[in-house]
Amino acid sequence: MRWIGSAALVLLVACGGKKDDGPAPGAPPDAKKLTLTLDWVPEPEFGGFYQARESGAFGKQGLDVTIKARGQGDTWKLVAQGQTDFATTAADQVLIARDRGADVVAVFAVYQTSPQAIMVHAARGFTKIDDVFTHTGVLEAEDVTWLRFLRKKFPDAQVKVTANAPGIATFLANGELSKQCFITSEPIQARARDSDPATFLIAEAGYNPYTTVVIARGEMVRNDPATIKKLVAAMREGWRAYLDDPGPMNAKMGELNREMDAKTFAESARLQHPLIETEETKKTSLGAMTKERWQTLGQQLVDLAVIKQPPTMDCFATF
Amino acid sequence: MIKRVGPPLAVLVVGLALVELYVRARGTPIYLVPRPSQVLDTLIAERGYLASALWTTAKAGLIGFALSALLGMAIAVGLASSVWVRRAFAPYTIFFQTVPIIAIAPMLSIWLSPGLKAVAACAFIVSVFPVIANTLAGLLATDAALLDLFRLYGASRTATMFRLRLPAALPSVFTGLQVAAGLAVIGTVVAEFLVGELGEEQGLGVVIVSASHNGHSDRVFAAVLLASALGLAMLGAVGFARRAVLANWHAPARE
Repeated sequence: MRWIGSAALVLLVACGGKKDDGPAPGAPPDAKKLTLTLDWVPEPEFGGFYQARESGAFGKQGLDVTIKARGQGDTWKLVAQGQTDFATTAADQVLIARDRGADVVAVFAVYQTSPQAIMVHAARGFTKIDDVFTHTGVLEAEDVTWLRFLRKKFPDAQVKVTANAPGIATFLANGELSKQCFITSEPIQARARDSDPATFLIAEAGYNPYTTVVIARGEMVRNDPATIKKLVAAMREGWRAYLDDPGPMNAKMGELNREMDAKTFAESARLQHPLIETEETKKTSLGAMTKERWQTLGQQLVDLAVIKQPPTMDCFATF
Repeated sequence: MIKRVGPPLAVLVVGLALVELYVRARGTPIYLVPRPSQVLDTLIAERGYLASALWTTAKAGLIGFALSALLGMAIAVGLASSVWVRRAFAPYTIFFQTVPIIAIAPMLSIWLSPGLKAVAACAFIVSVFPVIANTLAGLLATDAALLDLFRLYGASRTATMFRLRLPAALPSVFTGLQVAAGLAVIGTVVAEFLVGELGEEQGLGVVIVSASHNGHSDRVFAAVLLASALGLAMLGAVGFARRAVLANWHAPARE
């Protein structure tokens, strides 16, 4: 047993320097210390943030940003309660949070097109998302806003909807089973196991919330816009560099996330590029958000009775 | 009746009132802790929706519990029949106690199809071990003098098992069943998180996850309360059965 103790000690020492992350590369000693909490594990979905940290883009702006990968749960509650300065979440969660009385504001939107999708077995010959609902079989999905949107859109659904079982084993085993996914994740895993997934983006059915949205406390956005402006500028720089060459940061994130191999990292980064850099962002900037999109989403959530009233447009701020 | 129900009810009412006052006084946001009065409002306003979820969960929980009771006792009788059988198989029954349900729920969903069957199977797996362990302990603790008496009269092994050992083990069997009743409800709710059916046939586990995703903490707590009530009801039913069966001859049952 003793070797376990020694190994643990070695590990502790080895990680010692990294425990509090140290100052961000390129950050001045008096840099402002901030934390960004991610709503999932290190994956290309967050590549630009790690890039901004490692390349010194945050440091250049006088910011020392610690990135924490949380995995699951409502990150907006952490922001509202002051346990983290910033967090990532989806736009619909931002509006739900505000509707429940949490003062959080969106400041940067990574995915202009939501990567949320349904994967089906290509052999079934489905050509549109409607087919998932109008045929029998099973759909594994979480009961979140997009599912409510689709069930309202296809009221005479034949499909049996069940909870989203962990992993993709159920998809691989059952030819009649469709499953929720991010097109940047599960379909790649399924293909690597010789499956034949075809995917339908929820966005194409008309429900497209910004995803991987960075949120801050409203109080900070109103009282200290200069810091948010610097943060957004650094994130933009980080994402630009990551989109141009995701290789180095994928390797770095691969050390933090052993579940995803290098090939999957590369493929995921390639697939997400068009969802992040769109015609719209080429005209404006990466991470941009528009009032029209937030209004549309707000109305959709009101129609689904997820929130009570249309949101006020201080739910997001652009810098 | 009032003597029995009064004290816990008083604790409940006072406890809830304190939570209500504390949450109001501190201005704790609703998304963190809903006020008890809101949870009550939700329970009343959404009674149809919640009742149907409760029924779905109850069905799966009862099926899982019934399987645990029957198979658990059958397995224990098998194990008690010979020391060799016990040595060979008893270690494997521990599998039921230690298996992480999150790892096997997807497999059960593949084998049994998602929804009620897979959920009930999870409830069974989570709740069967205490039945096996307690029944077995009871079967192995038969009064030696009575065993000698049966031997003296030339009773068969089967007769000894069903006329002496099993009846004598009943107090332990019921202890096992009581533990299993609570575990079956927990197993059902957790399994519903993982492989439950959504929509009309959705159970409390699905309601809890959905409400939590959509920021309805009052509904989360309402569903949690109903799950606890279901657990209590099942425990109560086992307790009632215990008293009915044991009242005439086993001292502690008369309390």
